[in-house]
Amino acid sequence: MTPSSEVAREFPATLAGPYADGLDLPYWEGLRAGELRLQRCGECGLWIWGPRWMCGQCQVFDPEWVAVEAVGRVFSWSRTWHSFIPELAGELPFITVLVELPHAGGRRVLGLLTEDGDADIAIGDAVSGIIQQPADAPWPLLRWQRAGTPPETEQGEHR
Amino acid sequence: MTDSFLRGAAAVVGVSEFHYKRGESPDSELRMTLRAIVEAAADAGVSPREIDGFVSYGGGENDGTVVGSSLMSHRIRWSNMIWGGGGGGAAAAITNAAVAIAAGQAQCVVVYRAMAQQDSGRLGYAKHHFDGHMLPHGVGSPAQACALRTRRMLEHDGVPESAMRSLVLADYFHAQQNPSAAAFGRPLDETGYDASRMIVEPYRLYDCSRENDGAVALILVSADRAEALGPNPAYVLAGSQGAVGGYAVDTENDLDYTSAGFGGTAGVAETLWADAGLGPDQVDVVQVYENFSGSGVAALIDHSLCPPGADAGKVMTVENLTAPHGLLPVNTSGGNLADSFVNGMGLAVEAVRQVRGTSTNQVPDATVSLFIGGPMAAVSSSVLLCTRDVL
Ligand SMILES: [Zn+2]
Repeated sequence: MTPSSEVAREFPATLAGPYADGLDLPYWEGLRAGELRLQRCGECGLWIWGPRWMCGQCQVFDPEWVAVEAVGRVFSWSRTWHSFIPELAGELPFITVLVELPHAGGRRVLGLLTEDGDADIAIGDAVSGIIQQPADAPWPLLRWQRAGTPPETEQGEHR
Repeated sequence: MTDSFLRGAAAVVGVSEFHYKRGESPDSELRMTLRAIVEAAADAGVSPREIDGFVSYGGGENDGTVVGSSLMSHRIRWSNMIWGGGGGGAAAAITNAAVAIAAGQAQCVVVYRAMAQQDSGRLGYAKHHFDGHMLPHGVGSPAQACALRTRRMLEHDGVPESAMRSLVLADYFHAQQNPSAAAFGRPLDETGYDASRMIVEPYRLYDCSRENDGAVALILVSADRAEALGPNPAYVLAGSQGAVGGYAVDTENDLDYTSAGFGGTAGVAETLWADAGLGPDQVDVVQVYENFSGSGVAALIDHSLCPPGADAGKVMTVENLTAPHGLLPVNTSGGNLADSFVNGMGLAVEAVRQVRGTSTNQVPDATVSLFIGGPMAAVSSSVLLCTRDVL
């Protein structure tokens, strides 16, 4: 994925990093390795997000972590004007996108859009992920930018 | 008519609610809780010491053993917290109290909630939700989480923004008749709403509920006891709760994303109507928990009180939403937006007032009164209250 130096807008990494219990550690290690990894049940193929200890459909524990191409479409979005998070106060307004991933059974992940906060975003816009590693942050973060061409639609199961 | 054992088994016989500006309570949450309970007991005509059941929701340190001991209750038989975070369990707490009474596990149950910023900080009921998969993406508050859902409800489902505005203006309209409402004496019109600053699109300042310090208590007893106590108990007709979409752990992947959590087959709203043996068109007045205007609209849609999509705009007009003559009077004390916000429990007290006939925006001859708890939360709940002749 694109290295962070090519990105116009870099956000501070607020409170990023794994849970104390380690459930989502492979997600964060995946970002360090340059990959978006989500869980997929080896038994039934169910894509899982947020992270879970087991697949509820087949009671298999510790679903494996699988690399997913970080492309998708905007499922919803918001533009924040008020300073809810002190570390992002200097970035207002910013756009958060909820991205539907066609290559992960339609699972949705959150991320900040690296474009200007006044960007004319809409549901259905094609986006692609980039991994940012802010200089003084312990963990990288997945951000999103608008893509020129929409991703192939690969209809996976969505639970 | 259904055979639900809950139907009419218990009734709300006493209420109390008071609030301060956020951070300005002179008292701790425990002291405010005790004051609200003592006042509600006086309203009911029972001794605080006979309260043997305690139910709350949304967190807080003061469980039933703490509160009951402070009241020198003769015996604490029922001490429950509705799990699920935020205001989602608000109506479920009332149902839980009625269940205890119907099952003979307790005889006099108080439902209570208190908030003081000095004790639990801002948004003390919602903090747990915003973790390392939300905060780094700029989502650190309920407003932002709900805004994502409301954006899709508007842009994808086609609900017009006017539906949100009408709910806000109805709240402010009602607050002008309620001297204890925070927005009393501060009316709001379309121009003022449209001019207000954006907080997180699509929410403007006026779309977002205030937060107050304060406390609320409701006391329930059995139907027999209620009848002996006074002329106007608010009977629990039916209550429903559930976590149907997977909201708690799905990190924005729950089903029916634009729903408020009550919808769908075998959803919370459907079982509420089934258990009550009546439908949305038989409800006289509604108190809908609107932490944000958009999630309140979604909750009304979930309950079939308002059609989904573009047609929502036809029902959601200020004229329809306001007492005394609107088709769907909502939030008749001013609601979370214009009255007060103590985790939404003030709405339950107003639902009781409508059954008693004592609201400052009384709906004439109201007999069926609906309280819809917190939308877009891990658990969702609603409860129907009614006069005796409905049973
Ligand atoms: Zn499985």
